[in-house]
Amino acid sequence: MPRSGRSGRQVAVLGATATLLLGAVACGTGSGSSGSGPITIGISLPLSGPVADASKPAYEGYKVWVDQLNKNGGLLGRQVELKVLDDGFDQNTVVSNYNRLISQERVDLLLGTFSSKLNLPASTVAERNKMLYVEPSGGADEIFDRGYDYLFFAQPGTSRDLPEQFLNWIRSLPADQRPKTAAYPTQDDPNTDVTVAEFRKELTALGVKSVYSEKYAPDTVNFDSIASVIARAEPDLVVHGAVAANDGAGLVKAFQKQQFSPKIMFQTNAPSLVGSYPQAVGAKNTEGIFTTTAWSPKSTYAGNTAFVKSYTKAYGSAPTDDAANAYTAGQVLEAAVKNVGGLDQGKLADWLHGHQVKTIVGPLGWDERGVPAGDMLLAQWQGGKLEFVSPKAQQTTTKVINPKPGWS
Amino acid sequence: MTALLQAIVLGLLIGGVYSLAASGMNLIFGVMRVVNLAQGGMLILSAYLTFTLWSSTGLDPLLLVVVTTPCLLVVGWVTYYLFIERSRTTDPSMALVTTFGLTLVTKGVIALIWGNQPRSVTPGYANRSFDVAGLLLPQAQVYACLVAVAVLTCLYLLLRRTWLGRSIQATAASSEGARLIGIEVRNTWAAAYAIGVAAAGAGGALLSVLYPFMPSSADHWIGLTLSIVVLGGMGSLAGSVLGALVIAVAESLTSTYVSPDWAAAVPFMAIILVLVIRPQGLLGTRLREDMSRA
Repeated sequence: MPRSGRSGRQVAVLGATATLLLGAVACGTGSGSSGSGPITIGISLPLSGPVADASKPAYEGYKVWVDQLNKNGGLLGRQVELKVLDDGFDQNTVVSNYNRLISQERVDLLLGTFSSKLNLPASTVAERNKMLYVEPSGGADEIFDRGYDYLFFAQPGTSRDLPEQFLNWIRSLPADQRPKTAAYPTQDDPNTDVTVAEFRKELTALGVKSVYSEKYAPDTVNFDSIASVIARAEPDLVVHGAVAANDGAGLVKAFQKQQFSPKIMFQTNAPSLVGSYPQAVGAKNTEGIFTTTAWSPKSTYAGNTAFVKSYTKAYGSAPTDDAANAYTAGQVLEAAVKNVGGLDQGKLADWLHGHQVKTIVGPLGWDERGVPAGDMLLAQWQGGKLEFVSPKAQQTTTKVINPKPGWS
Repeated sequence: MTALLQAIVLGLLIGGVYSLAASGMNLIFGVMRVVNLAQGGMLILSAYLTFTLWSSTGLDPLLLVVVTTPCLLVVGWVTYYLFIERSRTTDPSMALVTTFGLTLVTKGVIALIWGNQPRSVTPGYANRSFDVAGLLLPQAQVYACLVAVAVLTCLYLLLRRTWLGRSIQATAASSEGARLIGIEVRNTWAAAYAIGVAAAGAGGALLSVLYPFMPSSADHWIGLTLSIVVLGGMGSLAGSVLGALVIAVAESLTSTYVSPDWAAAVPFMAIILVLVIRPQGLLGTRLREDMSRA
């Protein structure tokens, strides 16, 4: 009998403990705020894998933001800590990482990962847990078409807005200088898909005939056949949907082998990686290549100079677009928490839906889908530097190289 | 017609390099029945080594195979005694896991030393081509293919005409029999593994000239080389050459006439076809491998 009694007590104690634990989990709803100690922010990033060269600066951008924040007293009078997991650019891993950050690590806040491919599933995890999700990159339509309440994009435009400044420049050219034909090779990725489709639609409307439009698999290394077909078609313009520097360099190298240099060349994303892109394609071969970015190191928006200075001091090189986008996401989160005065996720989302935030890419305000309204920047590699050619307010040069010189 | 010929020629040229990249994996499997998933990492390690030597000395990257090959030979030798020998004597799946782990470690070490940025090796001829009757033959591809053929010939002669090569063949046929006739089987296995890795050392130097690469590029080459070996026939050196040419030409034609999106699937479709139609591969002889330890 005594045995049985002790066993009964043990069962009762275990049951009570389990009930308390379950209650604690149920009440948590993803927020681990204890009211004291540091505020933790959970992030997953592809720090290894094919886009590691782009996500490392993003991580550094987040760290610069947190360091500045902590120096200025943190958030709500508490210091802030980042809890960062590596997802290796894998969609399954990014989902398990954000689930882990919310349910096991019990972080107070979240910040977004890199690329549309990863932000697409990651934002679903955040939405399901009713947690604010400010993403530094990932502008594909399908991310915003789901009507999420907690999702916000920290760039001035989405993938659909990316061609705008380049198209304006094409429209500004005299008719005889405009491209007559164009090729559209693109990586099969939710971000580049939208952008390149938009390019093709708008350029076709301007009378530019498409001579090549194909997608290639994300792990493509051999661009020779793609370059060979494009070289035979001899388009005036090549618009390349490139996710990583490896991508952009792969097609450039294949074009070189085919002795083909288009008069005008635009690549998404890859040329903005100012550290790795020139190394991968050869510094002289960057000359005249266009890209679109969200941010300029020389912009006059409040805080930008301090950001560039802090980043350069911390990491010994100038920040990239990806670093700036991560910093911007941090600024958005910071503004929401400071203005709400707490960590209630619903209130944070409501505040962002109704207010503008001053950031280093300009003032950002969002529609009900989390889509901002603003101008992306048209940039071109000139003399070994990424120069900004439009819009006018953000220009670092008035010169535009056209046509692009041949490969060196 | 020119487009078709161009696609075939580009496929054949790159097929020569693929066959060198896959030959090491095939040799290792043929001798010790280990599917060496570490080959992808070794290829990329060699590519980074070539990049460093080329950028610091300015020497021709294709000729740097004479440096990268012995370097990787040493790496292969050391890794065999440190990791492979222990794992392959326990269970075949353990060897598979060990070599996969070696790839992860290699990628990590490369990232620590060189960073995660993509690199390219761009000698003066990287952007030049031979124009042969309207067909453009990229010089880098032509030279790389020639070097690959030369290295493969050396590998063939090593296996056929030298005492070490004959020891390797004897050990592959029957390790017990080899032991009976006085061959140091343990050292022969180590030599075969090291030579296999050294072949990746030569292949990596050639790949560095043809494509940009980064640590994660290893994953692509694991899949590709494994597909080539399975298609050609595991353990058959001639099979890996034939498999490489078939896959490279099929990739090139698919990219040109179907879609580049489908080209990446070609190696894996080839594996499925082989498993269904001819499980031993194009030039393989065994229907089922006895994976038990000799």
